[in-house]
Amino acid sequence: MSLQICLRCLSRPSAPSQIRLVPTTTNKQTAAFTTSTPHAAAGRIQVSQMKPKRTGNKPTATRPVRVKRLSPKNVPQRTGRPPAPGERKALRKRVVLSNTNALEVQGMPDLNPWQLFDKSMHGSVAGLPDDVVDPLRVVEAFKPTQGWSLFRRPATLVRSETVEMASWVQEVHNSQEGKTVRKVLFGERGSGKSVLLLQAMAMAFSKGWVVVNFPEAKDLTIGHTSYVPLYRNNQLYIQPHYTASLLAALPKANPILADLRPSREHNLPISVPPNISLARLCDLGKDPEIAWPIFQAVWSELTAPSQPDEGEGLVRPPVLMALDGLHHIMCESEYLDRDGKHLHAHNLALVQHFLSHLSGASPLANGGMIIAATSGSNKAASPALDFALRRNEALASSPGADIPAWDPYRKIDTRSLKAMDGVEVWRIEGLSKEEARGIMEYYAKSGMMRQTVSDTLVGERWTLSGGGIVGELERGSVRMRI
Amino acid sequence: MPPRLNIFAAPRAPVYRPRQSIAVRENGRICVIRQPLCRTFADKSGSLPVAEEGGLDGVSSEGAEVGRMGGEVKGPNMQTSEHVSEEAAKMAKMTGGEGPDLDVGTPVQDILKEDKEALENAPQVLKDSLKSGASPPKPSSTPSTQSRSYSTTRSLRALHSDSMATDDVADSPVFNSVNAETGEGQDLMSSEATIPGSSGHIFPLPELPLPRNTHLHYRYDPVVDQVTNLLMKDGKLSVAQRNMSIILTHLRTAPAPMYSGNKPLLPGAPPASHLPLNPILYLTLAIDSVAPLLRIRSQRGAAGGGAALQIPIPLSLRQRRRQAVQWILDAAEKRKSRGSGRGLFAQKVAEEIVSVVEGRSGIWERR
Repeated sequence: MSLQICLRCLSRPSAPSQIRLVPTTTNKQTAAFTTSTPHAAAGRIQVSQMKPKRTGNKPTATRPVRVKRLSPKNVPQRTGRPPAPGERKALRKRVVLSNTNALEVQGMPDLNPWQLFDKSMHGSVAGLPDDVVDPLRVVEAFKPTQGWSLFRRPATLVRSETVEMASWVQEVHNSQEGKTVRKVLFGERGSGKSVLLLQAMAMAFSKGWVVVNFPEAKDLTIGHTSYVPLYRNNQLYIQPHYTASLLAALPKANPILADLRPSREHNLPISVPPNISLARLCDLGKDPEIAWPIFQAVWSELTAPSQPDEGEGLVRPPVLMALDGLHHIMCESEYLDRDGKHLHAHNLALVQHFLSHLSGASPLANGGMIIAATSGSNKAASPALDFALRRNEALASSPGADIPAWDPYRKIDTRSLKAMDGVEVWRIEGLSKEEARGIMEYYAKSGMMRQTVSDTLVGERWTLSGGGIVGELERGSVRMRI
Repeated sequence: MPPRLNIFAAPRAPVYRPRQSIAVRENGRICVIRQPLCRTFADKSGSLPVAEEGGLDGVSSEGAEVGRMGGEVKGPNMQTSEHVSEEAAKMAKMTGGEGPDLDVGTPVQDILKEDKEALENAPQVLKDSLKSGASPPKPSSTPSTQSRSYSTTRSLRALHSDSMATDDVADSPVFNSVNAETGEGQDLMSSEATIPGSSGHIFPLPELPLPRNTHLHYRYDPVVDQVTNLLMKDGKLSVAQRNMSIILTHLRTAPAPMYSGNKPLLPGAPPASHLPLNPILYLTLAIDSVAPLLRIRSQRGAAGGGAALQIPIPLSLRQRRRQAVQWILDAAEKRKSRGSGRGLFAQKVAEEIVSVVEGRSGIWERR
């Protein structure tokens, strides 16, 4: 065979082995100028098949539709151990009560209910003793949005409302027939309602009372916890997990329960020994299945008449029940009934329990205090409660005062109105200038406000805080302005 | 045809206010200077401009045509008689008696004596008092209880009377208000006593220069202000201020930093235990310690052989701080947080500032 010349590169291969033999087809002759591969030119492969093959986009049995994956840019990749469930919530809701950098205020007295009646305490800041701080922490009386983390130790201002509250605590403690004080605190945002509740709880703890606290009424109605209708009762629903957590906190906050024992038999789903302490009974209630019957048993024991002569463990102290965020339980909850309609908050057993005591329908045999506070920053829409507060305030001010009337052509939540019948309401207003001076001196002595406390400064801050609203005063002096 | 316009007639006299010349004693000599065109005070004692007789248009209120030059027709409101009190004051001056006190309002009884029509329509009480012959309060040397002590015209009159009494034109504050050289005016309500008899100021004078942080736009510390603006995104300054307060609160609640000797902090830095209670100083120390002093600008092709020439350029204080804060914010973004909720970025920035002061931060290498 003669030497072939490659038409592309015009080279003459010397050895016959280097000759590339172009396979010829029998069907078609490929032209000499063709640039396509012979296989393609032969028509054996389709044009569509010449495109680069894309794998993974064909519909398969498991993925019927082609999915386009978008990869976002500049997203930080999570490395390391992810946070455990509940860790982030705990970090968000943690309460820090101490700042080691703050200066210690020398000579600060402790909040002692007996000493509050002394006029010299009024207007000064009193510290909370440690044996009161621990139970307050357990019942979640401290809120993360409050400014506890800026000072050396938790301390509150003794204002005129504190002195008044202390007088009621004293009255209840000294009364023989079981006097009950029922109040609703309302006022502007930041006026100090929640801290007044905390002060009442602190006084109750120091006097040895039993304290039950609902720190956020929103948690009762927001629909985040389980709910179950009561057996053969369409109207009332119980909340097992919430009740279980309440029962778990009760003996931790009230060590006195360990010394009390039941005075009568209770019909409980589990068998309990007769001499069980109330603290141990509460511990048994940590199981959500039996939480509600055990809560009812414990409560009936606490409100049973005190029998100091019968034996040990039958003395019953007064009870303080506190609730923050009253608006949430005076409207419809987020729970649904079997028809898909929203449950009214009063259909929840725990809410009914609190409101029956607030309205006075269920009396406390050994006396006590039932206080509720509204929240300015976390308010549910409850026109009925707003109207009831105005009406009750007008009724209490003077007999012939102008009592507001509801527009009869507008709907109103009658259940909430009825629940607020006869309840004393208390408007919390701003501090006086002397009280403002007292708390500003505390800020300055702690080193958190680096200014001299003069009359000019006190007047300026008092005015700028809307007439002495404590929350605004703290914000203006210590938090937003250093 | 002769033109209708008589161009050879004398033009009408332009309306102008003749400039006053005043005699001022300067350096022992009396020189006459002319007042500036715009006077700086309302001076009643000076001569007021004379209105052109016959009005500008040449038409009087009666409607009769008058000539341009001359003519005795007065315009409206020019023929009214003088006020009772002023007339009485003039009469008293001429006759030598004591006139009414012009600072006080004219007693009603005097007006009603002149004006019979008003007397008819006056209230019965006033008529009775007139009949009974109650006399208005006489002017006395001591200021009456009804006199207004804050009246400005009263003080002006007092000044004029003083100046007239001393007969010293040059020393009068009224005339001295015109500066001989510059022609500028001066406030009459100056720090000099405006109320005769008082010797000081009603309110204490401020201490000049006024502190910078009393001005609304400069009320925050400069470092805090700059960091807040650099934290701001999408123009949301209030969010940036909230984050700034979170940063400062973290700086004063976190444990005091521990200085490491290897990284140079700003000279004159206080002991580490002082920093948490003064979070602004803490922040300033961190920023100013890690801030670069120069930046390098490259000039293309200037070094020869196509290489870029490195030129160091000094940075101003604000530029230095800005660069340092940018580095801090970039490093904070890269930090990992395990929490949730608001203020996470501010928390990271605060932790970065603490690590800068402690010398652990990666910014020191970047510097």
